[in-house]
Amino acid sequence: MSETSFPVNDLLRRKLQTSLIAISLVSSVASTVFLLLFADRMGLGISLIVEDKMTSGFSVVFGHFTIFVALLIFIVGAVTASFMVFVMMSQRMRDIGLMKAAGCPNDLVFGYFMTELLIIAFLGCFLGVVLGTLADFALASFFSNAELGIAQGPPNIWGVLLIFVAFFALILIFGAKPILSATEVEPAKALSHTYVLGLTKEHGFKTITKFGFTTRIAVRNLSRRKSATMRILLCMSIIFILLTVVTAGGIIADQTSKSWIEKAVGRDIALIAHHDLCSQYRLLLSEFYEGKQDLPFNYTTEEYLTPETLPQQLSLVANVEKVDQRLVLEAHIREVRSYIFDPETQHRTPVGDDREGEALVIGVDPKVVVSSWFVDGEFLEENSSWEAVVGDSVAQKMFSAPLSQGIRFLNKTFDVKGICVDPINNGNVVYVPLQDLQNTTGISKPNLIVVKISDSANFTETLSQLSLEVSSIDPSFEVFDLDQFLDKDLRFLDYVWSTVRILPFFALATASVCLVGYVMLVLTEQQLEFGVLRAIGVNSGAVVKIVAGQTFIVLLSSYLVATALGIITTLLILVPEPLVTSYTTAEIAAWLLAAWTVIFGFSLYPALKFARKPILEMVNQS
Amino acid sequence: MTLAVLVSSLCKTYQISEVGVEVLKNVGFSAENGEFVVIVGSSGAGKTTLLNIIAGIDKPTSGEVVVFEESLGGRDEDFLAAFRCRNVGFVFQSYNLISTLTVAENVAFPMEWMRKSEEHIRKRVEELLETVGLQHRAEHFSSQLSGGEQQRLAFARALANDPPLILLDEPTANLDTKTGFKIIQIIEKLKENGKTIISATHDERIFKLADKKLHLEDGKLVAPDE
Repeated sequence: MSETSFPVNDLLRRKLQTSLIAISLVSSVASTVFLLLFADRMGLGISLIVEDKMTSGFSVVFGHFTIFVALLIFIVGAVTASFMVFVMMSQRMRDIGLMKAAGCPNDLVFGYFMTELLIIAFLGCFLGVVLGTLADFALASFFSNAELGIAQGPPNIWGVLLIFVAFFALILIFGAKPILSATEVEPAKALSHTYVLGLTKEHGFKTITKFGFTTRIAVRNLSRRKSATMRILLCMSIIFILLTVVTAGGIIADQTSKSWIEKAVGRDIALIAHHDLCSQYRLLLSEFYEGKQDLPFNYTTEEYLTPETLPQQLSLVANVEKVDQRLVLEAHIREVRSYIFDPETQHRTPVGDDREGEALVIGVDPKVVVSSWFVDGEFLEENSSWEAVVGDSVAQKMFSAPLSQGIRFLNKTFDVKGICVDPINNGNVVYVPLQDLQNTTGISKPNLIVVKISDSANFTETLSQLSLEVSSIDPSFEVFDLDQFLDKDLRFLDYVWSTVRILPFFALATASVCLVGYVMLVLTEQQLEFGVLRAIGVNSGAVVKIVAGQTFIVLLSSYLVATALGIITTLLILVPEPLVTSYTTAEIAAWLLAAWTVIFGFSLYPALKFARKPILEMVNQS
Repeated sequence: MTLAVLVSSLCKTYQISEVGVEVLKNVGFSAENGEFVVIVGSSGAGKTTLLNIIAGIDKPTSGEVVVFEESLGGRDEDFLAAFRCRNVGFVFQSYNLISTLTVAENVAFPMEWMRKSEEHIRKRVEELLETVGLQHRAEHFSSQLSGGEQQRLAFARALANDPPLILLDEPTANLDTKTGFKIIQIIEKLKENGKTIISATHDERIFKLADKKLHLEDGKLVAPDE
């Protein structure tokens, strides 16, 4: 028996076990690689936040989400790998005992099994990297065909390499430990059932009475194999946390983020401006899903200012609820340093710097404003004066403690009252009172009118009436439907979240493989027991019930704990001010229940196959 | 006396790779109620296979087995399982105890499966463990027992449901003389209680107890000592 041919032949002979371990590793590595590459492609790299697309607030949510999920996937990979190696070694414990009893030295036995581990680890990591990269490539192409702004190009090779190396090392570290302890055990112990199974029992003899024979045998089997049970519980719990975070988190974050956009843009909204300004405004709105498009534009050109009679005329059109006049311009903004006063220590801590940049400044009349942004802090009020609400990208890039600082532009300083999420100009926006902006710039007329049309009205019809009215006053002005842009923004968010939510399938595959591994372990360990049960007179259906009972208990306990932890994590850490409706709850419950059922159903296959085995085969193979 | 076991024209062939190995060749015999039949023969003669087929654990290639007037041919697994549970106590050569169950639980579970009352199970476990001398080991795992103790435990388990037919596969083969003697005492008691016993053995002490001796050689019954 050569030192290299034994491990290879051994792996090939144990096809099912080898495949299970390899698939489980491939699944974990592929999930991690896919996530990293995709996050990178989205401009939401794990280590840096690129703000070409979306607002910074979204980038942060996506960033946190992807980092957390990547971390979980990484842990799932590590725990699954460790569990699989544990399964592998538990099944081989008696072989190790026999090899040692036959005189095989420790280092040789260790060498055999480490070589097996190296082969499996390399295979798992290599195939995982290939699969993950292909999944990323396929999705990137899909997004490209959907004409959405997802970066194409080569994958982040360094990230892929890092994952490969990290997983390879982790598998070796986790795998070497059980191999080492198994090879260090005395041959007699390695051959003993009590040691191999790590049996522990409750005190006192309790008979299993009439009802629930199979359930109680299942409970007894689980409670007496503490070590194996604890490992599978841990493994399944982490997988279910991942599944919950990705599923529930994905759904909640999707709906929450969409509601932010919907609130900022508004529904049944028409925008009226000079056609050049309309085109520019479209560009600014599309930056959210198409990236930055820097084109110089002078917003305050005289011809862009709205005719004086226009607002009045628009308000007379049927079904027009509100006429929101705005003055939009681009300005060079600067952060204003300030102090944070701590009343306890009476200490003033300086905050801020002298950061500066370009932003869109919009003057609004708080009385008639049609949008209701998601705001951290407060929005402008009727009597607000020299106050500003900054977009999340401005807050993120230019301020240390925005709500305690001020912002300066056009030689005036405004106190920052709030931070809002707004897709326009990717969140590089500052809202100030219209009156203040007009006084500062000396421009008395607005250059943009936003009209809210009644929900009950026929939107298209009202839009046509508005167009007629506008063209009769000034033909160079036009009306455009903001709902189109809102739909595009939402569609983009939908695509992004639905892509992230592909991850549960990876988690589901990992969970299923892990559980099948567990069922295989249970069946292999308990083969003799089940054979004896059947020889004594227990039918094969009862054997399936016992295995199903064990699996059910493991799945249910890990599911309950992990789902609770996953949802708490999502609500408290991942998504600020989550939007959870009864529909959201039902959707999450349906997904998680479906996932649970799939995993449970999948895990029963080996049990059903096993139960059909002839009794003698079960008894003799043990 | 009524017939407990009737074996007629029994053949069993195992297919190993592409080679057919004939283990039993046209075997036929009968055992009456309360009779003690021993099957002797060299290793590989087919003794264990014959016991397995009588118990319904294995199926014959051809021939018929009737146990307590029930023909076992063509029966499904569920029927055979229920039949074994009610009628057959099997003591395997390698004991086949359940390692995750304690001594008491190993004895109790055939009764639990038969849905006997908790009180009945308790009493019966105590009684059987006392019979085989393992009452002090009730709370130990079966894998913590010595070979002789495991064999006695296997007897206790086989008797749990008080089956009328006991099948013993080399009950003293792995035991020293002293421990083997304890097993023989148990067999004597079973015989006194009117159980039908079929035992595969090499042990001359068991031969002496037998009412009928069958010689199995190379899968064939030779010169049956009726």
